[in-house]
Amino acid sequence: MKTLQSIKNGCAAEMAGLLARGFLGAVFVCLGLSKALHPVEFLKLIRQYDAVHTPWLLNSIAAALPWFEVVCGALLLAGIAVRGSALLVTGFLVLFTWMVVHRALALQLGIPFCAIKFDCGCGAGEVFICRKLLENAGLILLSTWLLAGRGRKFCLRYRLTQHGA
Amino acid sequence: MTQFGAWQRVDPVFERAETGFSVNDDSNHSTASGRAVEVRRVLVEAAVVAVVGAVVAFAANAISPRGLALTRNYFPSATGESVRPPLMPLVAGIKANGLQWLDEARAVRLFKDPAFREQRILFVDARDVEHYREGHIPGAYEFDPYHPEKEMATVLPLCQAAEKIVVYCTGGDCEDSQFAAIAFRDAGIPNLKLFVFAGGIGQWMTNGLPVETGERNSGAMRNADR
Repeated sequence: MKTLQSIKNGCAAEMAGLLARGFLGAVFVCLGLSKALHPVEFLKLIRQYDAVHTPWLLNSIAAALPWFEVVCGALLLAGIAVRGSALLVTGFLVLFTWMVVHRALALQLGIPFCAIKFDCGCGAGEVFICRKLLENAGLILLSTWLLAGRGRKFCLRYRLTQHGA
Repeated sequence: MTQFGAWQRVDPVFERAETGFSVNDDSNHSTASGRAVEVRRVLVEAAVVAVVGAVVAFAANAISPRGLALTRNYFPSATGESVRPPLMPLVAGIKANGLQWLDEARAVRLFKDPAFREQRILFVDARDVEHYREGHIPGAYEFDPYHPEKEMATVLPLCQAAEKIVVYCTGGDCEDSQFAAIAFRDAGIPNLKLFVFAGGIGQWMTNGLPVETGERNSGAMRNADR
């Protein structure tokens, strides 16, 4: 039999999961849209990473990635395929973080690491690298938490393959 | 022993700790297989979201008026390949692309040349329309190299008629003026006519030279007396 305290803890955890899902979804929708509405600027920024040189591949990434982020964010907000979306978001965040660090190290010319400031193409303009890494770490924690099964409250379809949460 | 054995049966956790064997091994297997099913389910879900997301993303790009053309090379170079990001000084990059460059003094001389009024000298602003409207060299035409279809039909005949074409963008690391010049060259404009003003509008404004805002020939001017 559940005690009142355990019920309270469960409710608090579910509410925190709901907030995490809403926050992460909103962040991805907003940042995705800011890039999707200025695809040329995003194209120029991702070219700076010097990771892809084939025009069609570079264009495809710049064209699709922002909208893809919007889709993942919208799914999280609506509570559809939450864990699948969280897995993709986690993967993206880890990849982006690795690329941002790589680029920051390339830009580090005799200045402290945390003093490096550049537009990483993340959708929020120029940022200091350490702040960006902290933000990404927080987002990775949230998405991993959702991946672990949190954020089931008020979902339209938590799982794609099975009704209910 | 009998007593202990009886107790073992009612406490499988203790039994497992003591003997390494549990009467609940079946449930452990089912838990493990349940986890495997759950992992597989999440992976399938992620794959479905990835496919749907990709379809929606490319469709949105195709519908959007700002969408990118997937097969176009937006960063052309003299070799015809997509150039790498600027790893060399801008002027060296302009030369490497087989283009001529102008410093500010020469750009101002061309701007004040009577041939500019007669459109034998043409200034072309290679930034997007928002930046163009915020301020451009008076009389310059707008030509966004990332959306050449918008202005090419207007600007190309003027370029063909002109003797000199000065292309500029923001300045600094901006390469868009080079891409615009290469687009003109690819459209048949002789290389000898094309000049890239390396300092761009940034240097022009910094030095307080005349700037027109809004549309071309809007009459809205800053530093008109310079």
